[in-house]
Amino acid sequence: MNTVLQTKGLCKTYIVNKRQNNVLKNIDLTISEGEMVAVMGPSGSGKSTLLYCVSGMDRLTAGEVTFNGKDTSKLGEKELARLRLDEMGFIFQQMYMMKNLSVLDNIILPSVRSKKNKESRKKTEERGRALMKRLGIEDIGGNDINEVSGGQLQRACIARSMINSPQMIFADEPTGALNRASSDEVMNELLSLNRDGTTVMCVTHDPKVAAKCSRVLYLVDGNIVGEKEMGHFEGGEKQLRTRERELNNWLMEQGW
Amino acid sequence: MFLRILKKDLKRKKTMNVIMLLFVILSAMFASAAVNNVAAVTNGIDYYFKISDVPDAMISVDLESEECKKIEALPSVTETRKQKALLLFKNSYIKHNGKKVRSYINPPLIISDADMPYNYFDNDNNKIESVEKGTFYATTQIGDAEIGDKYVFDIGNTKLTLTYAGRLKGALFSSEDIANPYFLLNNDEFMKLYNEPELEEKTEETLYVNTTDVGAIEDLALENVSVYGMDAFRNIYLYDMIAAGIMMGISLILMITSFIVLRFTIGFTISEEFREIGVMKAVGIDNGSIRVLFIVKYVAIAIVGSVIGFFCSIPLTKMMMKTVSENMVLGSEGGVMLGALSSAAVILLILTFCYGCTRKVNKLSPIDAVRNGQTGERFKKRSSLSLGRSKLPATGFLSLNDVMSAPKRFGLAALIFTLCIIMMTLLSVCSLTLKSEKILWLFDIPTNDCTLGDLDFYNEVIKDISKQEQFFKDTEKMLEEKGMPGKCSMQVGSRYKVTHGSREEKIWCFTNNGYRNDTFRCDEGYAPEKDNEIAATPTTLKTIDAEIGDKVKISIGDEEKEYIITGTFSSFMGQDGNAIQLAPDTKMYIGPFTYASLSTMGIQIKFDGDPDAATVKKNIEKLKNELDTDKIYTPTELIDSCTQMSGTLSAIKKLMMILTIIVTAMIVVLMERSFISKEKSEIALMKAMGIRSSSIIAQHTLRFGIVSLVAAAAASASIMPIGNAFMNAICRNVGDVSGIRCDFNALEVFGLCPAIVLIVTILGTMLTALYTRTIKASDTASIE
Repeated sequence: MNTVLQTKGLCKTYIVNKRQNNVLKNIDLTISEGEMVAVMGPSGSGKSTLLYCVSGMDRLTAGEVTFNGKDTSKLGEKELARLRLDEMGFIFQQMYMMKNLSVLDNIILPSVRSKKNKESRKKTEERGRALMKRLGIEDIGGNDINEVSGGQLQRACIARSMINSPQMIFADEPTGALNRASSDEVMNELLSLNRDGTTVMCVTHDPKVAAKCSRVLYLVDGNIVGEKEMGHFEGGEKQLRTRERELNNWLMEQGW
Repeated sequence: MFLRILKKDLKRKKTMNVIMLLFVILSAMFASAAVNNVAAVTNGIDYYFKISDVPDAMISVDLESEECKKIEALPSVTETRKQKALLLFKNSYIKHNGKKVRSYINPPLIISDADMPYNYFDNDNNKIESVEKGTFYATTQIGDAEIGDKYVFDIGNTKLTLTYAGRLKGALFSSEDIANPYFLLNNDEFMKLYNEPELEEKTEETLYVNTTDVGAIEDLALENVSVYGMDAFRNIYLYDMIAAGIMMGISLILMITSFIVLRFTIGFTISEEFREIGVMKAVGIDNGSIRVLFIVKYVAIAIVGSVIGFFCSIPLTKMMMKTVSENMVLGSEGGVMLGALSSAAVILLILTFCYGCTRKVNKLSPIDAVRNGQTGERFKKRSSLSLGRSKLPATGFLSLNDVMSAPKRFGLAALIFTLCIIMMTLLSVCSLTLKSEKILWLFDIPTNDCTLGDLDFYNEVIKDISKQEQFFKDTEKMLEEKGMPGKCSMQVGSRYKVTHGSREEKIWCFTNNGYRNDTFRCDEGYAPEKDNEIAATPTTLKTIDAEIGDKVKISIGDEEKEYIITGTFSSFMGQDGNAIQLAPDTKMYIGPFTYASLSTMGIQIKFDGDPDAATVKKNIEKLKNELDTDKIYTPTELIDSCTQMSGTLSAIKKLMMILTIIVTAMIVVLMERSFISKEKSEIALMKAMGIRSSSIIAQHTLRFGIVSLVAAAAASASIMPIGNAFMNAICRNVGDVSGIRCDFNALEVFGLCPAIVLIVTILGTMLTALYTRTIKASDTASIE
């Protein structure tokens, strides 16, 4: 399978009050097309920083990141922005959205801004509605973002991340602010996307979320200390419980 | 603890606090300068009269006459002082470098240093005790003179070469170009001229009296006697009051702007600290204490800003008072105290205002405050726009959507920018109007192409009004012969006894003789056309207790005639707002000539066939050569010399333009910086989605562009009504006027001034919005 994302010797250092804090240390990582990778680890281990560095949202201190064959560490701000807009999708724990746009307008905004998109505004809107329908939130298109539930909003965020048909979706604790039912709905959507061929990288604290991923990385103090191949989750409660059990045992071994 | 919080706050929000400080400085500076200006002109007049030892009344009367004796014999008259002046009916009597001295329309007067009825002062405000032989002082009307210049007084057989010793300041000398200029000479030289046969019977005699009852003199109702009391003396400085009033208005607008900005900043600071407020409330700190925490910062800023503003107001006051101080001797006492008091008032006003603005703290429950602090609400609701249905490009849509989502916030910005534009355009409109043909009608003269103001040419008419008709015929013939046919007209005014019922007053009556191409303008009723019709100012109607349609009696010369009041009109002429307009070509009686009993604005000429501006200019030049004079004025030049305010206001306008640019830039930086700070999460999110920094900067710039365009439209729509109302209110101090329509330079008012604000706004926002580049996509994770 083709490699979508690759890092070599990725380092990220923050200097706070003249103190050097090495958040990521020589990370080598390869993610192939169609994979669904979970990144786990204790708080402060560098999970989110890794996600931001590989997605071009933050600059590296050293090393290189290749996305789709392009060395993102050498790209300028403009090129990085275009890459994020056209080839990547993002989902955040806090369900950030533009507060003065309707849910539907939030979803179609990246597509409207994309130079790749040559279709009419009406067509884009139709596509946005179709995505909302697929995610089961077709009724809230005209609503304000503060008029809908957290689960609906996170699904709207997923729709937004999908609008430009990205090659890869980066999710930073996508279920962190949701209850169990909403969390399951959101993960099912991500799984469904993954099955359709979209690569997903997901930072999570939740073993139940990670159990649905095909590979789990375990980070401690900026190093990947463990990696577990889980294989694709086909669905079903029984298989999920088995995967969860296996993952929990492995996590215990890692010192979780 | 308060000091610790203050220190932390000042450090954290350096830019915002500095801008706020600058606004307090500006408020204090303008408040102090404006108060000083108005106080100097109002109190300054009293001070000037006091140090000048100005008597209670001035009476234009033959000093040897029975009338004069009657006045002197009045028991209420405690002291009399007499002055004889020589009236010069030819401009060619005085020459400088072989040329007639500079423009004046009314005859100049020569006075003696042996006959100074009150104290005169020189340019350095020193009292003039005597005039050195061979020198002379003059009032402003020979303005281009340099001290040490030689002037030749060549009258009949007497020729004196005198050196100009400097400006002559006298509390009762009008500084207007149109007023009679005065030359103060040594008595020996004065007597040489006094004994010159050519000036025989051309003396102007004035009696100055100190009296406990000016009314008693007026009650004598003596013919050919004009009495002027303190109110009339004060009227000399009315145009200075106009400038002071305009500056007061501008200062007021600037202060309103500053307060709106303060309100914005305070509101912003409080919403920034919702979480802290919530925590404080949760742990039980009461509302008053929390509000005091905010006030502490403003106390510090208000005190520092007001002190700096007070010191900055000193040079500004001097600049604003330049014209006034040229004409008056102003005392320095009180100015510092007044400035300090107005600065202190600004501190109090700011603190009261700030305390009021912190009311929001009371309304918040602890949980509201914490919750709002967490989500950092920027836009509470969305606009009705839809991205899907909009035809606008994405950046344009987002900008417009931002503006429409927060109408209050951006509306406030639009209001501030509107005020900024009005500050500039109001001065432009005022300065232009005060030299515009549009107020020609307030001087009761008809539309014309030029005014001939050289006494050499028409002094015979002034001396004998019956020669006027022949004079017009001769002049019109001369114009035709020179290839510029035209018609002449002349305004003549004199004070006559007007009686209505038991009321009897001496009121200035005017008529226009000769050609008149437009109907006299009346605010109510119709213009007098028949020889028994008159129009009066509303003030006159009040004075004589009459109404339109009433009949009044006017004594012109020996004849008392009945007139019907046909309408009311506005006028700068007359005295204390009292003026009457007679029908055109009414035969006037001008008694034995005294300068105080006749008013004229020169000879107005209207060329035939409505020639264009270039032809009129050519004709004026031709006339100047033919008549060997430079005293031919366009209507604009005539009005400008009457009001004398345009130059001062133009200078202030330039200063105001610079100031407005600075103020607008500061407002833009302050607002945009606070908007960025509030929208940090949105900006980070947009960057995370892949929207480029340049698009975000463009979006921020564009929305301020939209706001300033709205402001430009609002200012353009409102400047004329505001200007008209403002101008009418100010000019009401000069005469009984209403219905002034301001003149404007369309390019400046609707083009240049809004464009300046628009450019400053766009540049300011763009530069400030560069700060958004420091917000990274990854900040999305660290935003609360």
